[in-house]
Amino acid sequence: MPVWHKATQEWVKQGRLIVLGIAQEQHADRCSLYAQWQKFDFPILHDPINLMGAKVVPLMLAIDETGVVRAVGPKLEDFEDTFLNKDFLAGASAPSPAAKPSAPDIDALQKEAKQSNSIEAWRSLGDGLTLWHGPDRLDEAISAYSHSLQIDPTDNLSQFRLGVCFLRRHESESRQPGDFQKAADLWGKALETDPNQYIWRRRIQQYGPRLNKPYPFYDWIRQAQTEVKERGEDPVTIQFPLSGSEIAQPVRKFLADSEKSSSPDPDGLLDRDTTGLIEVEAAVVPSRIRSGKSTRVHIDFLPSESLEAHWNNEAEPLQVWVELPEGWETESLLLEAPQPEEIESTEMRHIDFGILTPEGLEPGLVSITAYALYYVCEGKNGTCQFLRKDIKMQIEIVN
Amino acid sequence: MISWVLLLIFGLFFSETALTAAPSYPPQVGEAHPDFVLTEIDSRQPVSLSQFRGKKVLLINFASW
Repeated sequence: MPVWHKATQEWVKQGRLIVLGIAQEQHADRCSLYAQWQKFDFPILHDPINLMGAKVVPLMLAIDETGVVRAVGPKLEDFEDTFLNKDFLAGASAPSPAAKPSAPDIDALQKEAKQSNSIEAWRSLGDGLTLWHGPDRLDEAISAYSHSLQIDPTDNLSQFRLGVCFLRRHESESRQPGDFQKAADLWGKALETDPNQYIWRRRIQQYGPRLNKPYPFYDWIRQAQTEVKERGEDPVTIQFPLSGSEIAQPVRKFLADSEKSSSPDPDGLLDRDTTGLIEVEAAVVPSRIRSGKSTRVHIDFLPSESLEAHWNNEAEPLQVWVELPEGWETESLLLEAPQPEEIESTEMRHIDFGILTPEGLEPGLVSITAYALYYVCEGKNGTCQFLRKDIKMQIEIVN
Repeated sequence: MISWVLLLIFGLFFSETALTAAPSYPPQVGEAHPDFVLTEIDSRQPVSLSQFRGKKVLLINFASW
């Protein structure tokens, strides 16, 4: 991308070319930071639901004045000769640009969906709500895609886009239990019917196990933020914190650390968090795997707002101890989440880790357990306690 | 080729309707690229391909990862 950007800048300045980017990813802010870091100066559009249907990136198309594709994957070396300098109009005058577009009429889309009750109409409604509206209408988008899936449960476009909505809701203040797992499971279902869809595959791998990662995805973010600050600019704010899986380097095997770690509460003597001072939710990405394959567990911890709970950061940080059946492997049995410097805080904390299953497992559901230990306080001047929360996850082993 | 022209005309007449899916993407050389409307990442303003008609366009589908 940066190579093409640099090469085309002069042609753009001369008015001979328009460069238009389409970001095929979930989060606009990350793409915006990337563009800021790389100093991209062309319009970049956001396509979180893969409206275009692109299956791989980068994918470049040279499009002439009338909207006809003249090259797919053009080569930089001969781009000027084979595209810029070519006359595709055959003497006719260049067509006029269309008027600047507006956002779709959601009321009209709703009416069409209810009247026709077709998959396409419900999907269009979902697309309109997802692309053009914020969290306030996310539930309506979820409902629209769900409608199209009621008509055809195998519609993989609706599956993928519904997954995008669930992840968006998970990352918002309106999150509901199970949103992240639903997102991952829907993407998995969509990919099963179109395994060559690499945009969808990457969406899962972004949160998936390190053993199955093609590359680290977002390990560039810290460097980008540093270099943008050094230039005297404020880096684009990343709205939702990245999980470890999104910046972790791929690995080919886990290094065993069971010799070094020991269970902090082997006999289960610590008091349990029975009142839910910390709301805990676990998701497994992907949740259905073959024997011998890996997956990644994501656990979110959020102090309860209704109980006015908050983290006590003067003590040890949040820890998770992973309990695995014989023969299963993980990167580290004892994990910690970083904590801020302030004495108290209420942010969501996240821990994720990979699991490798052994060969030869029978198909079926397997339960994996872990437990978390944390210091949490209740109320403004309330009691602070060191508590344990037992966590259960399920992985489905398939043929 | 004909299917892509029809799709483009459909998009122009029903410009308020979000395009739900390209039947197969990318289009082949010689075929019209379907029009689309998406938001610009910073301004959140709608941008379409057809608003650049009359100019040569390099369209880049990419990701920051």
